[in-house]
Amino acid sequence: MLKPKPSFAYNPKARMKLCGILCLLAPLLIGVRLFYMQTFQHEKFADKAERTIYDYLAEDRLRGQIFDTNGNFLAESVRTHSCGVSKRYVPDKNITINFLVETLGLSKKELEKKWKEKQNFFFVAKKIKPDVYMNMIPFLRSLAGQGLEATPEYERIHPYGDSAIDLLGEANSKNMGLSGLELMFNDELSQDISKRRAKRARRGEVIYDRSLKEEKSVGNLYLTIDMLAQYYAEAALAKAVEDYDPERGLILVQDPQTGRILAAASYPRKDGQSLAFQFTYEPGSTFKTISVASALDAGVVNVNDAIDMSGRSWEIARGVVVKDKQHDKDALTIPEIMALSSNIGAGKIALELGAKNFFYYIKAFGFGTKTDINFTGESRGSVPAYNKWTKVDTASKGYGYGVALTPIQLIGAYSAIANGGWLMQPHLIDRVEYVDGRVDKRAKVQKIRRVVKPQTVETMKKVLQYVVEEGSGKKARIKGYSVAGKTGTAEKLDKEGGYAKRRHVVSFCGFTPIENPRFTILVVLDSPAKYTFGGTAAAPIFKEVAEALLAMQGIAPDRPEELVQ
Amino acid sequence: MKIFGLVFILSVFAFGVVMMRIEINRSGRLIGKLQSEVQIKEARNQYLKLEAARLSSPEVVRKAASENLHLRRTPPQQIVVLED
Repeated sequence: MLKPKPSFAYNPKARMKLCGILCLLAPLLIGVRLFYMQTFQHEKFADKAERTIYDYLAEDRLRGQIFDTNGNFLAESVRTHSCGVSKRYVPDKNITINFLVETLGLSKKELEKKWKEKQNFFFVAKKIKPDVYMNMIPFLRSLAGQGLEATPEYERIHPYGDSAIDLLGEANSKNMGLSGLELMFNDELSQDISKRRAKRARRGEVIYDRSLKEEKSVGNLYLTIDMLAQYYAEAALAKAVEDYDPERGLILVQDPQTGRILAAASYPRKDGQSLAFQFTYEPGSTFKTISVASALDAGVVNVNDAIDMSGRSWEIARGVVVKDKQHDKDALTIPEIMALSSNIGAGKIALELGAKNFFYYIKAFGFGTKTDINFTGESRGSVPAYNKWTKVDTASKGYGYGVALTPIQLIGAYSAIANGGWLMQPHLIDRVEYVDGRVDKRAKVQKIRRVVKPQTVETMKKVLQYVVEEGSGKKARIKGYSVAGKTGTAEKLDKEGGYAKRRHVVSFCGFTPIENPRFTILVVLDSPAKYTFGGTAAAPIFKEVAEALLAMQGIAPDRPEELVQ
Repeated sequence: MKIFGLVFILSVFAFGVVMMRIEINRSGRLIGKLQSEVQIKEARNQYLKLEAARLSSPEVVRKAASENLHLRRTPPQQIVVLED
């Protein structure tokens, strides 16, 4: 006889089974859920965890160095620390304050005041130097140092002070370029290695995730600037500022054979704001070189042609009269026009050349176009289209009015005359050298175009030499060396739209030695407080800088006979 | 007996794992500490290098040369080119 099956309530085995299943079900469900999360939602949760654990620190961005053409340091980032206090984690306020006062040399009174004022976190010091930080480490790692946070940051150091700072610009404590070359070459100079994860312990220690491979590809920037030449230019400009008190001033030095910029000094000196590229002005008489060279090259005038100056007054159009007050001659040859800086002569030559031809020469010399340097804020100047020029416009452009240019454009044009007629690509960056060994050469000698014929160049060199030896540029003469150049004194536009009689831009642009020119130098002083001229203010500055550069490069006199006399 | 043996082996294994982890952590901390010291020393070295650069800048050299040694810049006219 079969035993009747006990009901569930009286079957201990079945009840045990059920309990077992129920007990297992919970971990099973948890297991399934974990499996689902770790398999199908892995990325989502990994990202979430990473975001909460890892910080992307300031030191995750490396930054290369900047050197001059001779390998002298101009800018380098140094790792420093900033120190902050999280009040709520500090175990003993007095111990912490005393430590900060002793180590960082802070004022106890001020620190206590800050402590009182701030809610929880506040910075006590920034840019802490490495040796000071080393002294802080044991305390930071101790229990007493809890609540003190040391955060790495970078300080961009310029060993030459603010020399060339107008070109270099600035980088911030996170190694990001803010202005000038630092900003222009931010991609080459800095490398974002924020993938190199790091977490910060409570006391400010940084713990890196070592599983990630660190690949460095920061570049070091080598400029064409020679810091000695830059120093001479800046010193001469500082002296000029003292003597003439201009609103602005600049000295630009270029190697005419290669187009390399050797020095670019600006006044006032501001981070990343170089007047060599950003200053736009009407050049006045220094532009006569361009008009005369263009006319000679086009064959519309001859160097020995005599231009009529009768009455030293010329009515270009009805009511527009140009006067020459600096001479009493009735006719001038081209060298005389340049030496005496005759506006009538230059205007008539421009008219002879014609608006269309003149426009094409102006454009060929590189005016009205940005250079490939493309410096931050570089201006293209202003050269209106020739079909809009009136007779007065053409004539006035002949003596440097009605056209706006930048110093880098003007020096390029003079360099073209110095080097035989070639407009050269100007360079400010020599090369970028990456830490992995790659070298990106930037300053390749590049001829953009031939602007004037070699015969024109030879004539112009003689004309410009005559200006320095017999004309308005006498103060640029250097004993033992041949110098060619042109002075400029341009009236500035006033607020009413006319030209102000007492506000000038005085300048001198020239090169030396004439046969094998090594330097083209442009000096510009904008609105000097003292009434002066290009020949009296800018030419002596040219001489001072040129003498220093000739000595610096050991260039022997090309006219030794002058030294014997 | 067998179970006790198994438990003993597992315990030894677990102890080994724990010790290994402790040693790894200790070494990690040591390496981290040494690395940070290396970084600090590199930074100090950098400062010294930059200070050397500052001291050799034209302005500083010219000042020292003119004030201490009463030297002045050679005029270019005094340059003599020596021929072979």
